[in-house]
Amino acid sequence: MSNSSEWDIERAIDAMSAAALDRRTLLKGTAAGALSLGLAGFLAACGSDSGGGSAKVIPKGEIAKNMTFSNWELYIDVEGKKHPTLDQFQDKYGTKVKYVEEITDNVEFFGKVRQQYASGSSGGRDLHVVTDWMCNRMKQLGYVQKLDKSAMPNVVNNIEDAVASPAFDPKREFSVPWQTGQVLLIYRKDLTGGDLTSINDLFDPKFKGKVTMLTEMRDTVGSVLLGEGIKPEGASKDQVMEAIDKIEKASRDGQIRKFTGNEYTSDVARGDSAAILGWSGDAPQMAADNKNVGYKQPEEGFMVFTDSMQIPVGAPHAFTAEKFMDFVYDPKIMVQITDWVQYVPPVKGVRQELEKLDPDLLDNPLVFPDKAKAHNFKQFSAEDEADIDAAFQRAIGA
Amino acid sequence: MSLFQRRPGLLPYLLLAPGLLFLLLFFALPLYYMARTSLETGTLFTGYQFDWHFETYTDAIKNYHEQFIRSFVYAGAATLIALAIGYPLAYAIALRGGKWKNALLLLVILPFFVTYLIRTLSWETILADNGVVVDTLKAIGLLGDDGRILATSGAVIAGITYNFLPFMILPLYASLERIDPRMLEAGYDLYGTRRAVFTRVTLPLSMPGVVAGVLLTFIPAAGDFINAELLGTPRQTMIGNVIQSRYLELSDYATAAALSFMLMAVILVMVLAWAKIAGTESLLGAEAR
Repeated sequence: MSNSSEWDIERAIDAMSAAALDRRTLLKGTAAGALSLGLAGFLAACGSDSGGGSAKVIPKGEIAKNMTFSNWELYIDVEGKKHPTLDQFQDKYGTKVKYVEEITDNVEFFGKVRQQYASGSSGGRDLHVVTDWMCNRMKQLGYVQKLDKSAMPNVVNNIEDAVASPAFDPKREFSVPWQTGQVLLIYRKDLTGGDLTSINDLFDPKFKGKVTMLTEMRDTVGSVLLGEGIKPEGASKDQVMEAIDKIEKASRDGQIRKFTGNEYTSDVARGDSAAILGWSGDAPQMAADNKNVGYKQPEEGFMVFTDSMQIPVGAPHAFTAEKFMDFVYDPKIMVQITDWVQYVPPVKGVRQELEKLDPDLLDNPLVFPDKAKAHNFKQFSAEDEADIDAAFQRAIGA
Repeated sequence: MSLFQRRPGLLPYLLLAPGLLFLLLFFALPLYYMARTSLETGTLFTGYQFDWHFETYTDAIKNYHEQFIRSFVYAGAATLIALAIGYPLAYAIALRGGKWKNALLLLVILPFFVTYLIRTLSWETILADNGVVVDTLKAIGLLGDDGRILATSGAVIAGITYNFLPFMILPLYASLERIDPRMLEAGYDLYGTRRAVFTRVTLPLSMPGVVAGVLLTFIPAAGDFINAELLGTPRQTMIGNVIQSRYLELSDYATAAALSFMLMAVILVMVLAWAKIAGTESLLGAEAR
């Protein structure tokens, strides 16, 4: 089987990085005390043997009484102080889900968990949600477990074709999509004096110092490329670097105020920023909170991203986490998440369920976008990607 | 017992041992690993090798000298402002506070019961473009119509000053409070003017506090990254932000370690120079009696 050779390569990478990481975990516990790891971290680092993922699929087992799910802010249905989806999971399986909204930025989350995952511990997490490019990195480093798809019939049957087989994980054996989102223009109509239509509006001197973009490289650079009339799927490395130069210059000139993760919601609410790049699920919520907030898909097209669930190595309740993935792939469950977060659902049959629950959403381009205008970022080689990442980090001032 | 009676020379070493062990474990060893890391090359995916790669240092200087200089300018400005605010305040509390002394000191420390991050986030709200401060400054014409405070160097320096102010006030207070009032009386008895008594008696006697306050403010301020992150923009990035992003976000441990080393070296040189000027007694906080 072609699988085995693929695994040999991955094991080799695991072994190499694990050896290097051993020394590094020690360093992090001691030299970088400033980075908030104390004696416990140091001891843990010393005791850790080389971790890394295993090629074995998650074995079937008992369903646990509890599990821990790490997710982004505002990324699941809410009713009062409860999450109906999680309560229904508990009713069905008797599992209490500890839901932690600890992720605001992919790289930041990676920095936070890397040491734990590298030493084979999930830090108590059973599920995390990160964007697909980060899912790829987690998989390459052996930080996530291989899923047993035979335990997840809903996922196998209901996954939307558009997200079912990305290049990095063609059979979705290491990641299961949670939501797909879009990068939109979000603006304060009272401060901009009207609607924004083009990504290039963000470079309009009228809005100097009131513009923010995302720290997520693919979202920001992809959008700027679209503004230049370049399709991000086919962009060359030079074109990407030029776009980064353009962003860096705008930042130096004071046109761009700063680069943000989810925290742009409070900046816009306060009026510190007036014309920004933001994510599609946040926009309706912000507009509902403040009638001056408007949002639009840019006329040049928009970037899409898919965030997926993964089970980290050492997850204490991996089998239960698989059951949870399967549970949300029931369109009757996913529809209530979609109705609340208003992202694009990765599950077939949600459209039919929405006809009953909330027909207004059927015409909403945030939930059912025009696929011709949706764009993905190109997957560059690891080396090119490292160069691009470094250039972008420089551009955003870090 | 009998061991120490036979070999009395051993006891001091034994008493020093816990301290030495602590320094070895939490200072010398980490420094060694940091030095080693700074000379490595590689990436997260290929692993890291140690190969005396000194170019990391020259590249780091070339790429980040701007942030380095900015860190010291911001930290220097914040230290001077904190001294200007802190000295009169500490003076008033120590010499004029009377029975309110302890209550006033508590007031200085009270805001710092709230965590660092929350305090800085509150400044984000206070200084917001449509906030009270900016509106007031615009109304009285100190700030142009397009003016703003948040996301400027001023906001970052103000944030650092505010966050490190107690580290300036407390040592100043301690040294001012210890001044024997009879010294000042003697000064007046000898026909010293208020100014002469201050410059020739009070100020020299409070120098240990000034030196300690300056060091306690300047050193952490130079490495701070929270204020620049929350109150600034990419144009206000300090060296701490660069180290944080290199280490946590780009997994570029070599550059992060090299930058940390250079930051330490520069601060050490500054402290030594300051010690030369101010005298080692005051550096160690010993009283200049």
